[in-house]
Amino acid sequence: MSNGKKFVMVIDQERCFGCEACSIACKIENNTSDYGIKVETQGGAVKDTPRGNFPNLTMDFLPKLCNHCENPPCVDSCPEDALQKRDDGIVVLDRELCTGCQSCLTACPYNIIVFDDSNNLAEKCNFCVHRVDQGLEPFCVICCEGQAIHFGDLNDSDSVVSQLISEKNTFQLKTEEGTNPNVYYSPPRLKRRL
Amino acid sequence: MVNPEIRLVRTACPAHCGIDCCGILAHVKDGKVIKLEPAEFPDERDRRICLRGLVSLDITYHPDRIKYPMKRVGERGEGKFERISWDEAYEIIVKKFKEISEKYGWKSIGWALGGPGAGTTKFGAYLRLASLTQSTRVSAWGYGDAGLPCGSRVILGRQFPYGHLHVATFWQRKYPELLMVWATNPAESMPLQNMRRLMDAKESGTQVIVVDPRFTVTASKADEYIGLNPATDSALALGIMNVIFQNDLHDKEFILEYTNGPYLVRIDTGKMIRGKDINANKEDAYVIWHRPSDSHKTLSRSNVKEASLTGSYTIEGIECKPALQLLMDLSSEYTPEKTAEITGVEKELIIKLAKRIANAKKVVFLTHMGFTRTYHGDISLRGVISVAAITGNVNATVSSGYVPGGLNWNPFLKAIPDKPSFHRMGILNLYDAVISGNPYPIKALWFAFINFLNQCANSNKIIEQFYPNLEFIVQTELFMTPSARYADLILPVCSFLEFSDFMNSPYPNIQLQQKVIEPLFESKSDVTIVAELADRLGYGKYFEGGEEGLIDLIMDSGSFKGITRETLKTKAVQLPKLPEGASFPLSFGTPSRKIELYAEQLYEDGEALPVYLPPFEAPVTPGEKKYPLTLINGHSRFRTHSMFANIQALLDLNPEPLVDIHPIDAEKRDIRTGDIVTVYNDRARTTLKARVTEGVKPGVADITEGWWIEQFREGSLNHLTHDTINPVQDKVYEPNMHMNDVAVEITKSEGAKK
Repeated sequence: MSNGKKFVMVIDQERCFGCEACSIACKIENNTSDYGIKVETQGGAVKDTPRGNFPNLTMDFLPKLCNHCENPPCVDSCPEDALQKRDDGIVVLDRELCTGCQSCLTACPYNIIVFDDSNNLAEKCNFCVHRVDQGLEPFCVICCEGQAIHFGDLNDSDSVVSQLISEKNTFQLKTEEGTNPNVYYSPPRLKRRL
Repeated sequence: MVNPEIRLVRTACPAHCGIDCCGILAHVKDGKVIKLEPAEFPDERDRRICLRGLVSLDITYHPDRIKYPMKRVGERGEGKFERISWDEAYEIIVKKFKEISEKYGWKSIGWALGGPGAGTTKFGAYLRLASLTQSTRVSAWGYGDAGLPCGSRVILGRQFPYGHLHVATFWQRKYPELLMVWATNPAESMPLQNMRRLMDAKESGTQVIVVDPRFTVTASKADEYIGLNPATDSALALGIMNVIFQNDLHDKEFILEYTNGPYLVRIDTGKMIRGKDINANKEDAYVIWHRPSDSHKTLSRSNVKEASLTGSYTIEGIECKPALQLLMDLSSEYTPEKTAEITGVEKELIIKLAKRIANAKKVVFLTHMGFTRTYHGDISLRGVISVAAITGNVNATVSSGYVPGGLNWNPFLKAIPDKPSFHRMGILNLYDAVISGNPYPIKALWFAFINFLNQCANSNKIIEQFYPNLEFIVQTELFMTPSARYADLILPVCSFLEFSDFMNSPYPNIQLQQKVIEPLFESKSDVTIVAELADRLGYGKYFEGGEEGLIDLIMDSGSFKGITRETLKTKAVQLPKLPEGASFPLSFGTPSRKIELYAEQLYEDGEALPVYLPPFEAPVTPGEKKYPLTLINGHSRFRTHSMFANIQALLDLNPEPLVDIHPIDAEKRDIRTGDIVTVYNDRARTTLKARVTEGVKPGVADITEGWWIEQFREGSLNHLTHDTINPVQDKVYEPNMHMNDVAVEITKSEGAKK
């Protein structure tokens, strides 16, 4: 299933305007109990509010989803082999094999795996493998209003994701965990004040 | 890969006031739409869907949809209705219309058509029937949108102060050096495509400034945010002009060629001097002061470039000054200090901003309707356009690179060319027409795609004085909205997936909103309803072919040559590009055919220049006040006006109405985030949760519009707003509702009802 590909996602915080279309798109496409991608406001105490003092304020958005880590602790933690790291880098949760033991929820340093109470199963973003395997992009990518979410093959140096990672000052979350995420973020640009 | 059981249909989501819409690819299985996704476009930047579009199946398949025609059996507002057949519904309407028209004339029957979800023929069908019956078309511009055209008509002689819709600003043209986003929040509100273009521009190096009393999501993307007091935009514009004039940074060449700045104005009458005032041959010609000859001359194409823009002159005993000098005199009062005091913007920032605008090579002013929803919002728009004009940036702001698509509106505006058409009435004028019979009585109203009670100003007045004066109310609706409860007859309409319409957006594309599935339940499209009613009124032949017939009619325009309804079934089509390097010549529909920095027709009203006049209610000047906070209403990404307020998928993310207030104001009132508070003034009390945030200016309270009345614990947003008519707007175009010019106080609520 790899064809020598390594799928990664790059989210451009500069272009994300926090609309949450990705969250809704994800839930509809995957028919899940919760959003596989959630938008965090980097701002005030409450969602969608800024930090600072009026009018010197900042507010940015950080969409968070499964990082499809290179070294995924969730895969190691799963006693049923329901979590698998594919050769193309995608970490897939097979709900047929999941027994709902929740060890993956504890193992994930990003707290991004959720528990679907109604089915007693774990739930997370699978990078829309059902689409990717047909050559399509994850649904959140085509529904992103800001065109901020990029998906592609890091082994292809011409891909948009490769270029973004080499040109922009991208970062990953919680690198200290040693998980080496495959979701990268490009930070907002510095303001050019008057 | 392609599932043979699934049929794909290209359509378009019209849920945005008809000025922009996304292309949608619907997946249909066994007659049911199972999925929506953004459809392809010739330019992939146009391929888009928003969070509302994504959940629109929840509208189509909502359990609460109105499923069949109903007539009222309880009191108005009680919500008691009884199922009837379509035949019975039409019989009631025909009988009532006959009674009322015989008693008061057809004029007394009005069609109030809204914005959200409005298409083209859907709207046109009502106009055509109104035209045939010579009844009254109630214009919805005044329900928030009339202030912008009021100002734009005065200064530019155009309905809008930008190119063919906003996005045109960015199409096929070099990005500007500076983008002034003033009073609009495209990241969360219409027009849909603008935010992407704005971000594209920023990525290519454009500096972005946002002017707004709220720190919006768009503001969060700006290089500089200018947070000003609501309703003080014209003061800021004058302050900017002051700095530009003081530093001699204005673009004199542009002003001479494109504005009425050089025309001499009489000090005694405030009118432009004309040839006849000085016994010149050309009686109506404007007069200028000719610099080379140091004498006055009647205006000609050749001498205008040699006109004086400044000074004071006496001609034949008449004291006069160039219009620009009058603008300079006015702006000289708005020193950075005084402007800072009025607007709440730092003095240094005003100076830097003014110099940046004047020195940037190309500036685009992206404005919309935030500030025009204040009592003098039309003048604010004129102030901003004046800044664009004196810096030579009007061309950058209003031109575009594609041929705009003109719709064939004639058969709708005037169904029979040699007969009179409908009467036109602004929606704010409608209050008086219904309540007092001025200028003539309206006795029956048909509301279509409008949630009148919820979205129009002064709810208590509507409930207590407006509705009781109507003999007959019809509403076409999908849901039992607060307004539908007051109807005598409710007719079930289709969601956008159940009927066809034509869309001339997103610019520069045109699209077909193609019927994907048959109408659900007993619902019909507005066009079908109008056609069937028209048939019973003897006008059936004007609606032959139904939805498709009307689409062909509205597409019968030079703009769409060679493009048919068939073509649009599978793709969106881009309109022709202008030749390389071409742009629209600057033309203005003002009396002088120039940008009117000075509007002589408004001299008696004290508004010949873009003056700063204090707001009607907004308590922006410091001091003791009964109602010390300015209430404004932002637009939320979770709704299009009041559409989508009943969709659970969106309520999951944004469950209830909130009032945003600044920590300083909250502390004074001992209010914390999550507290239940009452917002009140003399008109009403509205109870809801508070959110304490730095995102609004101190002194400002913000409740996003569109929540339904029953979603508040008490009152609602529009219970607090007022329906005051600005007579100048009434004269110029149509009076606007001033939802962002409202005074309130807020108090922690004790024992508010749940």
